[in-house]
Amino acid sequence: MGDMKVKMRISERQGNKLLISLKEIIKPSELNYILKNLWKFRWHYIMILPGIVLLFLFAYMPIMGVQIAFKEYDLTAGIWKSPWVGLKNFYFLQDPYFWHTVKNTLAITIYRLMFGFPIPIIFALLLNEVRNEKFKKVIQTVSYLPHFVSWIVVAYILTSMLALDTGVVNFILEKLGFSQIFFLGEPKYFRAIVVISAIWKEMGWSSIIYLAALANINPELYEAALIDGAGRFARIRYITIPGIMPTVGIILILSMPGLLSAGYEQIYPLVNPANMSVSEVLDVYIIRLGLVSAQYSISAAIGLILGIVQMLLVLTVNFLIKKSGGVGLW
Amino acid sequence: MTKRSYFEYINYVLLAMVGILTLYPFLFIFILSLNEGTDTMRGGIVIFPRAFTLINYKFMLANSTLLKAYRITILRTLVGTVGSVFITALVAYGLSDPKLPGRSILMIYLLIPMLFSGGLIPYYLQLRNLRLINTFWVYIVPGLFNIWNCIVMKTFFQGIPESLKDAARIDGANEFQILFRVVFPVSLPMFAAISLFVAVGHWNDWFSGAFFVYDPKLVPVQTYLQQLMTQEMEGFRASAPSVSDMIKFREYSTITSLSLRMAAVCIGTLPIICLYPFLQRYFIKGVLIGSLKD
Repeated sequence: MGDMKVKMRISERQGNKLLISLKEIIKPSELNYILKNLWKFRWHYIMILPGIVLLFLFAYMPIMGVQIAFKEYDLTAGIWKSPWVGLKNFYFLQDPYFWHTVKNTLAITIYRLMFGFPIPIIFALLLNEVRNEKFKKVIQTVSYLPHFVSWIVVAYILTSMLALDTGVVNFILEKLGFSQIFFLGEPKYFRAIVVISAIWKEMGWSSIIYLAALANINPELYEAALIDGAGRFARIRYITIPGIMPTVGIILILSMPGLLSAGYEQIYPLVNPANMSVSEVLDVYIIRLGLVSAQYSISAAIGLILGIVQMLLVLTVNFLIKKSGGVGLW
Repeated sequence: MTKRSYFEYINYVLLAMVGILTLYPFLFIFILSLNEGTDTMRGGIVIFPRAFTLINYKFMLANSTLLKAYRITILRTLVGTVGSVFITALVAYGLSDPKLPGRSILMIYLLIPMLFSGGLIPYYLQLRNLRLINTFWVYIVPGLFNIWNCIVMKTFFQGIPESLKDAARIDGANEFQILFRVVFPVSLPMFAAISLFVAVGHWNDWFSGAFFVYDPKLVPVQTYLQQLMTQEMEGFRASAPSVSDMIKFREYSTITSLSLRMAAVCIGTLPIICLYPFLQRYFIKGVLIGSLKD
């Protein structure tokens, strides 16, 4: 606690001399001042305390629990007392099956980024051009709806719509003279199904943030452009798109961790033996290895690598965007 | 036609199609749930039920497992939402005062878990360590504090004029009294939005029910639906009311595992779809609050 106070003083004095000796900081009168100030804010600290405790229990303890990746997990000994084994658990890096799941993950997430990222922007731009407020409102409201149902419901919708004989998609295919396709059993359709259903679920919801950014663009810019004789597409190109670029950048940074996580909540319910060769993605693999087969140390090691790469991705993209003159997260 | 109105025409058609394609999947599972299962097997149902029946619903609603799961879902949604919004609001208010000593350190403490997490397995082991696995509380306690919501709330609280709080301070109110009498009442729309997000999150969570709980009595609706996905008719019969309870034998014999699953999904989803039109304006407000940058 005392250490914290010292740090606080230093941070308050940033810009002053950094080399302040401890003696100088904890002069009796100043200590008195610090304590008085802390006491003044005692209610605030009491309010914050539950948050500190909960974060410690459910975020920091698991972060410290990452050590299990370097240990041989022993059920009776627990995380802290299990024996260290060095990098033994990281042999998965040489396991072709692991790289196979990485490939499966990237195949889904890169498609999802390629299509799922621009589509909400395009959707927002199209909505923004609608003058009939009522029509706009109805479409918006409808498009947000799928965000509020669970991935299980999405899985049910997919299995029923894509089913053989009873599914509506195969019914249409048959009417058009094609033969039926067992979509969820054929690996080559799996990625498309995952990406399209993810777009269906989140397109409207993701567009809200862009619509808000669009609403914040200064209308005088459009008026000036009209006077200059700019057409609709020129206005979109030179006013609207630059106006939402900062938002686009931030959302891009925030979507980076998703590159390594194809989304177990969506994919796990869709996995079946027939599509295993493409549906086994990293986070499903971690669940099956860790939670189902109780291989805690190895799956924690995979999770650790995953977490580090995700963090680096966020930091890198944030850095690149700031470097190119855009707005970063911090 | 000018070029401009062409664009508008295409735009309207395109957006209308998006709207229809968004809604149609819901309609499809709904009509399948209202159709006789054996009739559905013949295929070709697209917009209307062909052999209308309520038997699938009657069967599923008489299923005690589903009703128990419903009770768990409602209970966890209520307790989890109230608890989480309350605790998170306390923390957010505590952090909202810019003069708070040590605030920047606390903010860093909050931001680190947003950037890096220990991953699923250490998290699971910690839940086990805390004896939360296979209890109702595993649904509630880990979610009591939410960093993102905390930051949204903090931003909102900082926008409340200081003069309101100062007036109460002069009257001798302590910070808790200020929070309950001044800050909470003006924050109700924001609370409504965040509560809805948290509640929907609880309602839709199937994962913790599937992996953090083994007792079938503790399974929530979404997890139950996940287990039903692979359930065949025999499994349904096991948890079914006896045949004598069923109204007509002919109707009863039309049931298939598919038609029952569809009814189960609709029962699990209808509350959200019915409430949605009334709540959606709060949702949108909530996102906009969240998009304000600190």
